[in-house]
Amino acid sequence: MNLSLKSLLTAAWIVLALAVSPALAADAPALVQALGAKSFNQKIEAIKQLATSGEPQAVGVLKALAARKLYLRKSDKSVVLARKSGKQYALSRPLTGEDLGKAPKSALKKIGLNNKMRRAIKAALGAMTLLSPSEEVRAKAAAAVFKSRDPDTLEALDAALAKETKPALKIALSEARAAVILNMEAAEADRLAAIAVLKARGDRDALSVLKSVAAGKGAPATAAAEAIRDIETWLAFWSAGQNIFYGLSLGSVLLLAAIGLAITFGVMGVINMAHGEMIMIGAYVTFAVQELIRSSAPGLFDYSLFIALPLAFLLAAIVGMAIEQGVIRFLYGRPLETLLATWGVSLILQQAVRSLFGPTNREVGNPGWMSGYFELGEITLTYNRVYIMLFAFAVLALLFLVLRRTPLGLQMRAVTQNRPMAGSMGIRTGWVDALTFGLGSGIAGIAGVALSQIDNVSPNLGQSYIIDSFMVVVFGGVGNLWGTLVGAMTLGVANKFLEPYAGAVMGKILVLVFIILFIQKRPRGLFALKGRAVEA
Amino acid sequence: MSGLMLKALDRYAYLFLALIAVLAIVVPLLNLAVPETHPLHVSTYAVTLLGKYLTYALLALSIDLIWGYVGILSLGHGAFFALGGYAMGMYLMRQIGPRGVYGHPVLPDFMVFLNWKELPWFWLGFDQFWFAMVMVIAVPAGLAFIFGWFAFRSRVTGVYLSIITQALTFALMLAFFRNNMGFGGNNGLTDFKDILGFSLRTDGARAGLFIASAIALVLGFVLCRVIIHSRLGQVLVAIRDAESRTRFLGYRVESYKLFVFTLSAAMAGVAGALYVPQVGIINPGEFAPANSIEAVIWVAVGGRGTLFGPVVGAVLVNFAKTYFTAALPNVWLFALGGLFVAVTLFLPRGIIGTMQHYWHRLRAKAPDGDTPAPPPAPANAPANEPAE
Amino acid sequence: MLNFSSALTRAAATAAVGAGLVWGSAAFAADTIKVGILHSLSGTMAISETTLKDVMLMLIEEQNKAGGLLGKKLEAVVVDPASNWPLFAEKARELISKDKVSATFGCWTSVSRKSVLPVFEELKSPLFYPVQYEGEESSEYVYYTGAAPNQQAIPAVDYLMAEGEVKRWVLAGTDYVYPRTTNKILKAYLMSKGVAEADIMINYTPFGHSDWQTIVASIKKFAGAGKKTAVVSTINGDANVPFYKELANQGIKAEDIPVVAFSVGEEELAGIDTKPLVGHLAAWNYFQSVDNEDNAAFVEKWKAFTKNPKRVSNDPMEAHVIGFKMWVKAVEKAGTTDADAVGKAIIGISVPNLSGGIATMMPNHHLTKPVLIGEVQEDGQFEIVWQTPGTVVGDAWSDYLPGSKDLISDWRAPMSCGNFNVKTGKCGGQGK
Repeated sequence: MNLSLKSLLTAAWIVLALAVSPALAADAPALVQALGAKSFNQKIEAIKQLATSGEPQAVGVLKALAARKLYLRKSDKSVVLARKSGKQYALSRPLTGEDLGKAPKSALKKIGLNNKMRRAIKAALGAMTLLSPSEEVRAKAAAAVFKSRDPDTLEALDAALAKETKPALKIALSEARAAVILNMEAAEADRLAAIAVLKARGDRDALSVLKSVAAGKGAPATAAAEAIRDIETWLAFWSAGQNIFYGLSLGSVLLLAAIGLAITFGVMGVINMAHGEMIMIGAYVTFAVQELIRSSAPGLFDYSLFIALPLAFLLAAIVGMAIEQGVIRFLYGRPLETLLATWGVSLILQQAVRSLFGPTNREVGNPGWMSGYFELGEITLTYNRVYIMLFAFAVLALLFLVLRRTPLGLQMRAVTQNRPMAGSMGIRTGWVDALTFGLGSGIAGIAGVALSQIDNVSPNLGQSYIIDSFMVVVFGGVGNLWGTLVGAMTLGVANKFLEPYAGAVMGKILVLVFIILFIQKRPRGLFALKGRAVEA
Repeated sequence: MSGLMLKALDRYAYLFLALIAVLAIVVPLLNLAVPETHPLHVSTYAVTLLGKYLTYALLALSIDLIWGYVGILSLGHGAFFALGGYAMGMYLMRQIGPRGVYGHPVLPDFMVFLNWKELPWFWLGFDQFWFAMVMVIAVPAGLAFIFGWFAFRSRVTGVYLSIITQALTFALMLAFFRNNMGFGGNNGLTDFKDILGFSLRTDGARAGLFIASAIALVLGFVLCRVIIHSRLGQVLVAIRDAESRTRFLGYRVESYKLFVFTLSAAMAGVAGALYVPQVGIINPGEFAPANSIEAVIWVAVGGRGTLFGPVVGAVLVNFAKTYFTAALPNVWLFALGGLFVAVTLFLPRGIIGTMQHYWHRLRAKAPDGDTPAPPPAPANAPANEPAE
Repeated sequence: MLNFSSALTRAAATAAVGAGLVWGSAAFAADTIKVGILHSLSGTMAISETTLKDVMLMLIEEQNKAGGLLGKKLEAVVVDPASNWPLFAEKARELISKDKVSATFGCWTSVSRKSVLPVFEELKSPLFYPVQYEGEESSEYVYYTGAAPNQQAIPAVDYLMAEGEVKRWVLAGTDYVYPRTTNKILKAYLMSKGVAEADIMINYTPFGHSDWQTIVASIKKFAGAGKKTAVVSTINGDANVPFYKELANQGIKAEDIPVVAFSVGEEELAGIDTKPLVGHLAAWNYFQSVDNEDNAAFVEKWKAFTKNPKRVSNDPMEAHVIGFKMWVKAVEKAGTTDADAVGKAIIGISVPNLSGGIATMMPNHHLTKPVLIGEVQEDGQFEIVWQTPGTVVGDAWSDYLPGSKDLISDWRAPMSCGNFNVKTGKCGGQGK
């Protein structure tokens, strides 16, 4: 197996040696044609040569290659640039832009790309765009060179450094230069200076470069080792902060999943096993909205979540109210039987979604503003997690507002605290029950919109959150929203601090054992309700 | 004791016991003695299936004892069932001996695979049947005792107790999933060969296990009846209906609860031990909280606090499951979910509970001393409602 | 007396077996050949297995259109074992002893296969298992049409070592037997290739793990040691979506830290936005993007059958296609559906696979398969970047594990043994 792979590679190298060495003298069109070669290594060689050929159109060609717009025309095996126009593709010569007419897809073969080629293209583009007029491009180029550490770019780097005026970019360039220097034969003094530059950078990427140096011998290795120690202490300090962020992020996911349950279960006393399915409904609404947008108004994709939120709330609330009116209404005063009925409802909802949308995962995309990450010091914060955290707090705040400041909230509290009294004051208790359950379900629905951004959208979605949600509500104290908040955050952070030491599985087990022990200490949760209602 | 026994068993109980006894004799007979082509032949498939239902019935009975009569809703009883099953599974694994795929004389295959050189200490002794049987009862009962000792002393009640029992079984599931625990990880224990020297793949052994399950169910049923008709049972019902008042009357509520909870766990353990050789596998999936919830549902469907009910419920729901998963494989969850909802709405006392209710009403018009205390409708059991 | 007891027996039997036909020896029509389909249609595994049920229905329908088998029509018997492992064994017994199926196609997880294994061996009925698995098994009545570790994991690692110049390895998996075995084999293999132990990080997570922040961060940290790093993922099913979403959001690009997965195919990618994941890898024996006429025709038929132009095909589906074709050929060759006759006939049978080669059933009940490495594309498909020149023979017993390196499997007479020890010359494992 391995043998055959090796022999294949050796063969490829021989071909390369034969085919590429004459190409050193070859002109740009020949190099572009070489991009259509069969072997990846030949293509990489062509990319490298194209980058140093001085051909002004090389950047455009490489970009087109990266964007998968370069094709091999089957008829004459020539490399062409193809753009989709109608049902066919409009062809042109990559370097000159000369129009080559149209062709159907079947006449073309996309030029293959692999990771090694992608790396080579990035490095080549980086080296070629160091002098670009746009600051953004120059910053990207410096980062690309830092990563590729290609000794051939040293000249270009020096030229760019001499020209660069922006201080931030100057630093980026000198760091890239240091990384390159440490990747080639250089005077010891230069290497030591480079190590100092990277030490000042002090992040994980710098660490990675330094570690490769520390493996060597001599003064630079010692200097690198020292720099590594410094950086690692620095990073250890930050990793505690990173853990807190992870914990809060997990906590906010738990909070979102549990808030709805804090109402249906915590406030109304319904052991709502169908809670998870309300979350699932929200997630599927997001999917449906995105699907509609994809097919009819792709421009709106970034707003898909905002469109999905009210719809998810409404649909989940309606389903919730239907469940309340159809089933739970008859079970008040018999909370344990709500467990049985809602379990049945949850089975039905799961199967309904499975029949409607199929059993497989559905794709819910991240809008642009929710993708990617930013860095705060040495902490990597992903946008989706940050927004979900903010969203969870916003939902909680809104819920407080509804419960404390609206007539509906007043009535809800009245009904749950003393039903007969509320009824005799003229409150339509049955209707308030339906609305309360609808509210709890609706909130679960919007939680589903948020959770669709980080988890599977499948019929099993609800099942994976139901137990955690119950744990959070019970740990925090049934009937107390503050308890739910503190409970979720405590469990999240505890889990994330345990995980690096105990592993993901043991961490979770320890948290569960902690909950069991904690309930012994405080049998009614963190924030227990006081007063006569407790003993009822 | 025999007086208590007489008091505990009314004519319905005798009828019920007779039915199970007939089942225990007839089904194996029809399986072993009647030729396969005969229309009355009961297939081996049916024997193992019925045997499985009987073990589920015993599990449901153990839940009814604590939920129906003491008001403790355990959403983690599957844990005790599974622990009993693992104890039995460990015995069965040791019986494989050198017949595993790697042919190691002592170690089960998964340990050979994990490069373990010798049996871990907690596997020692499981080659002895008596030891395994002791563990079948001792491990679940021990865990229930420790758990209950803490929980009841701290007066954890109602839904809080339900949720931490769920946490218990969930934690155990995660723990048993770990390969390093030494219980076979996700694959669990499987590919059993012999029990007490009889090959598990013979119809005789299956019939034997079926009879053993029936006997266990009968014993469990009688035991529960005896308990609830004794003075102890009356205190238990008192605890269910008004825990604080019972405590004020001077009863040590937690001791009563602890005793019944431990006993119930032991019963569940026995059920698990009988379940495993009949289905041929035990794995951490049995700890899944959903399984425990489902077992509670059998009790509710049959009728909580009736003892007949859980048996009927367990058999009925599982029969429905068997039937639907083959007849309506694509939509059977609709049928099952619909069944649960319908039973809750239209038969709030469960099937047997509703029957008893109307029967007693009928009887109430012509009073009869023979009638046992009517099982109270679950609506009168506020002890386990969540605080509002 | 005798009369009475028989009456009692009859009455009791009627009561006991109550709804009777459900589990009695139901009468069955003799003019069809029944084929059992044992895939979960509900529960956690429905995500993956439902597709396989559909593909089997399609194959059976097609075979019937082509005239059936041995002059009879095929009849599919579908049951739902509901992702519940004991239920798998029960349903297997139901299929064989009640429905009298001639062959069963089913199972996905290792534990479900382990659960049904004793049933198929006891009742002597063939099972075709279509999923890549951990090996270390060879049963007389089970045909493993998916890949063994040497048909997936080892070539993938070879590729990364040679082509990706990877020096440091993260082996990340879900905590169950397939990842454990695969990682064990890979670790032994990597160390035999001179990789230091410090350059291998092994990490296990529970099923359905959804919060990958810490682990992705620790992968990043591990990769920051100045050596090219790759992740070999044996993460199972549901946990993949949040894993890849976290990878994408934390900005891990395939050019920096490629992830090669053994359990992620077209079906799994259908639930993920793959634009940020372009270039991550998967190793399989089939990809939907395989460019040949057979495959194009198959994909076309599949889309038409499911009435969904976006439906994708994947590797386990191809395994069922091969398995079904082989069974049909073996039955035709044997002239009967009898399990032992089919078992004799099927060894050595070759059918074209969908990746443009030939699959042959080997004496160890494993297949010959090509190994393909694909890179994830923006449209959720894979682009094949490397493949073995020929096919690789599936190895039931890994050569890299101390417990199994001396074992071989050969179900032809006279050996007829699943775990023959070449050292001791005896059937039955290590045989100490």
